[in-house]
Amino acid sequence: MKILVVLRMIPDSAGELELTGDGRGIDREWLDFQLNDFDDHALEEAILLKEAAGATVVAVAIGEGSNRVLQMAVARGADEAIALEAEADGMIDSRAIAGSIVALARSKAADLVLCGVQSTEDLFGQLVPYAGARLGWPHVSGSSRLSIEASALRVTQERGGGIAATYEIALPAVIGVQTASKAPRYVSGSKLREASKTAMGKAASEPAGFERSAEIVALRLPGQRGTGENLGDNPENVADRLASILAAKGFAGV
Amino acid sequence: MRIVACTEGSFGKIEPFSLEMITAARMAGAAGDEVVAFFAGQDPEPAVTSLGAADRLVAASAGNTQLIAAESYARLLADTVAAEEPGLVLVPYSANGLDVAGDLAARTGWPLVSYVNEISRDGDWLAVVAQVYGGKILAECSVPLPAILMVNPGAFAEAERRAVDPSKLQHSDATPVVAEGKVRLVGVEVPNYDGVDLTTAERIVCVGRGIGDEASIDIARGLADILGAEIAGSRPVVDSGWLPKVRQVGKSGQKVKPKLYLALGVSGAPEHLEGMSKSDLIIAVNTDPKAPIFNVAHFGATCDLFDLVANLSERLQTGR
Ligand SMILES: Cc1cc2nc3c(=O)[nH]c(=O)nc-3n(C[C@H](O)[C@H](O)[C@H](O)COP(=O)(O)OP(=O)(O)OC[C@H]3O[C@@H](n4cnc5c(N)ncnc54)[C@H](O)[C@@H]3O)c2cc1C
Repeated sequence: MKILVVLRMIPDSAGELELTGDGRGIDREWLDFQLNDFDDHALEEAILLKEAAGATVVAVAIGEGSNRVLQMAVARGADEAIALEAEADGMIDSRAIAGSIVALARSKAADLVLCGVQSTEDLFGQLVPYAGARLGWPHVSGSSRLSIEASALRVTQERGGGIAATYEIALPAVIGVQTASKAPRYVSGSKLREASKTAMGKAASEPAGFERSAEIVALRLPGQRGTGENLGDNPENVADRLASILAAKGFAGV
Repeated sequence: MRIVACTEGSFGKIEPFSLEMITAARMAGAAGDEVVAFFAGQDPEPAVTSLGAADRLVAASAGNTQLIAAESYARLLADTVAAEEPGLVLVPYSANGLDVAGDLAARTGWPLVSYVNEISRDGDWLAVVAQVYGGKILAECSVPLPAILMVNPGAFAEAERRAVDPSKLQHSDATPVVAEGKVRLVGVEVPNYDGVDLTTAERIVCVGRGIGDEASIDIARGLADILGAEIAGSRPVVDSGWLPKVRQVGKSGQKVKPKLYLALGVSGAPEHLEGMSKSDLIIAVNTDPKAPIFNVAHFGATCDLFDLVANLSERLQTGR
């Protein structure tokens, strides 16, 4: 079995995000880029499947810092690492990269494509359904468990309200991972150093294949702080205020 | 123009966001437009008894399956889109919607915008506002029609719940489509609540990833005990195994509406807000003043959560 896992490098949403002068993008100059959390879980799930059922894992990374994350993927157990060419300075638009991922899935003869269920930059749609529909493969988004049983894939999907559905799918398939079956593992420095010797492949981007798409007119920050009251950042003052607010509203006593 | 509003329901209930899609469709529409609700599931009854605010209902049902896989839903929707030729399709941002919206976009070639909060019409175009970067930034987009929008639950009010006039109902049997599907449902797990039901809790203390590690959960639990509150967590906290799944609040967890919701180290991603933004009193503590949780909080503080919990626990215990 061959698994293609997609790793997208995205701006750290916990950091300060500033808009570019033309208001259509975010200023990337000083941003920290990190692996999309859900893609990290997809990588972990790919390695877990390899360990449980035997597989070759091809990691494809896109965006700023791809080489670093590919090294990490190899250190965690990926067999092959490929950096996919990306448009500099832009969002990683899943609609736009789907064509490249489909081409790679075909050229690498993948049986299973794994990636995170979403990224904070997939404004124009998610990679999983785009790649699945284009490949003509079944796709399931939001997995919390994957396993191979008698050459079929079992996928547990999180629905709302804590309900989980389990499906059986004949491969090939595309799965959007929400949570890996186990938390992503840490890798030691020595494994990372060893992984740095692995040759990194490159792939050119392929056309997206869409004639019409939506466009960003402007980005803006949401209206400041709704209507709530800011109690400040001094923990003693905040505790005083909250204690009296809670008392006034009848929450202080149990 | 015709607008197809996708709806969902299972276990005898319609998802409330289904009614929101009908409102969203009316906002996007102009006078004379027709809103067609689309439903696919095991049992059409809850759709038939609640979606009368739409002009028509197209429902497909497969009685032999508890949940209809997104694959079958997408296929049935594609058939409906081919037959109805709408100018706009609205899909809710749900576990099902995540597979359905992009699938339809790939098959039709139509534009798609996700995480949509606002829609207005501008001739043959739509102007929409969508959330990116976990709700930290809003994107104003222009969308040529025909198009597909994936709409955030909670962004639009629910349309009035009333029965569909029988003459406005078109019902079909989805069993053959489900049988042909490559994604076969083999089981459904309903969480074991074990006496924990956040949906009826009056007070909730919710910890987010800002809590840092499993041992620190006890610090928040201490405050929850003092307040007589249930402890809850965001997705990363539950995924890490620090709290059980029944204590997760949000899109894939529980939707809660307590009298008091105290969020500690929760950023307030749209998927979290969906589960708690209707709480009566929301207090948020987060060191990042730009965290989107502050957009729904009634009171917000930007101090370290550990400093706050220590101080507040002491105040509440000593009554000072
Ligand atoms: C289909 C789908 C379903 C989902 N369902 C859910 C769901 O049900 N529930 C859910 O919660 N999420 C859900 N998510 C995930 C959601 O997108 C976010 O990833 C998640 O809510 C983030 O959790 P968080 O706020 O705890 O973590 P983060 O976003 O990492 O935020 C942590 C916050 O803590 C703050 N912080 C750090 N240290 C401190 C400190 N010492 N004191 C004070 N503040 C501090 C930081 O400033 C930051 O804002 C879902 C996602 C998808 C795609």
